[in-house]
Amino acid sequence: MGLRDKIMIGLGALAAVLLTRNIWVMLTGLPDEAFQGAIFRIIFFHVPAAFTCFLCFFLALVAGVVYLVRKNLQWDAFAVSVTEVGLAFGAINLISGMIWARIIWGIWWTWDWRLTSMLVCWLLYAGYLVLRRAIEETTERARLGAVMLILNFSVVPFVFFSIKWFRTQHPQPVLFGDGKMDEIYRTMLYGNWVPLLLIAAVLVMLRMRQENQQREIDALRRAAHSF
Amino acid sequence: MSDSEARNFTYLAYGLIACWVILVAYVLTLTARGRRLTRQLDNVKRMLEDRESK
Amino acid sequence: MTFIRQILTVAAKDLRSEIRTKEAINASLSFALVILLLFSFAFDPTSETTREIAGGLLWLAFAFAGVLILNRSFARELQNDCLDMLNASPVPAPALFLGKALANYVLLVGIEAVCLPVFGVFYNVTWYTHLGQLVLVLLLATWGITVVGTVFSALTVNLRLREIMLPMLMYPVLIPCLMAAMRLSTVLIDGQPITGDDLAWLRLLIGFDIIFTSLAVVLIDTVLIG
Repeated sequence: MGLRDKIMIGLGALAAVLLTRNIWVMLTGLPDEAFQGAIFRIIFFHVPAAFTCFLCFFLALVAGVVYLVRKNLQWDAFAVSVTEVGLAFGAINLISGMIWARIIWGIWWTWDWRLTSMLVCWLLYAGYLVLRRAIEETTERARLGAVMLILNFSVVPFVFFSIKWFRTQHPQPVLFGDGKMDEIYRTMLYGNWVPLLLIAAVLVMLRMRQENQQREIDALRRAAHSF
Repeated sequence: MSDSEARNFTYLAYGLIACWVILVAYVLTLTARGRRLTRQLDNVKRMLEDRESK
Repeated sequence: MTFIRQILTVAAKDLRSEIRTKEAINASLSFALVILLLFSFAFDPTSETTREIAGGLLWLAFAFAGVLILNRSFARELQNDCLDMLNASPVPAPALFLGKALANYVLLVGIEAVCLPVFGVFYNVTWYTHLGQLVLVLLLATWGITVVGTVFSALTVNLRLREIMLPMLMYPVLIPCLMAAMRLSTVLIDGQPITGDDLAWLRLLIGFDIIFTSLAVVLIDTVLIG
């Protein structure tokens, strides 16, 4: 077992411990929110998942730019891994939000700006994965993928502003803006971000290893054909 | 209406389960891909060895 | 100076070959008209509601029609390895890109100019009360569509599923641009000038155009040559 595996298992174990503790505190230690009852606890996963998702998308942008400068395929592997994991957390954010909305707003989906923006971002990055699938040559895939990441990330602020002007019914952002949140809840919100980040890191490492493995296979195949 | 119903515990449970189901589904696709890759790697390596021994 | 001449040369070449074959224009124009026709079945075209959704309807038709033009833009150069020749020619990639974008722009604006009166007749809308502002919105938003579309056209030119990939990748990126265009056109077609809050949409549109034009010019070398 290599050092990488040990790090991954260590991070995963740490995440599991923290999560168990957080869920325990959430269910037993925290009082219900006055209007929403128990369901508000979804926010401790919903919001950190969104943070993780956008952190991943940002890292993907960085990886794409670095790839274009350095032309090192390791960065491309990082970009695709981070995007995939970001999409997984984006899906968590969307689905948990929908379940919450079913109770609090009585509907599964509404075209509120935050929901819509998140969905658009999700589609943008899903498009990146689809584009990659359609390109066979490794360096071309990495190059065009990096360009797409740059375009995607530059449209994200536009998406947010434009959709925001279509008005909103989402609760105010709890961190900046008018929404107020009690100190214990806020601590839990950030506290639960840590294990989610650890999980994301482990997943990214796993995915990157697969990407490298894939490249190794491709190289061996080429070698086999060149005989 | 029972207490847990009033406090929407059912849907909280659904929400948390949904979160984990998504993560587990992603991990499953990862392991499936990992297994496929390992198999392919073995195949290619065996193929190369065969050729070299010939 | 040479740069501008190169852009114009590429644009003229594209326009000339398009006018001779008319393959994209015909398809795109008839597609736009068919969509306008189809929308009339989706709701009652004479009612008041038409005006409330007029902008959205118009821009959906333009966005769909635009894809057909953009799809051909780089794909046209695949035969006889024309794209390789263009890349090898002394025309730098940004000039090639801007030339192609300009040609697409002219074609799409032309199609819009035909569709707008037809739309007015079909849906009984007086769209010309603020003609100047409407033209401004039209020109700005169409540039946004063409500049993003031409980049993606270059990005997808070598893919097998090019025709499907282009709209799939392009529309999500165009959402802010289309939203602004829809919103502004709806207001203008309703007979009100752009004021107050709607100016923010205009600024968003201009910002979108500037940012994506510069990004495209910077990135096009990487896309075409690598």
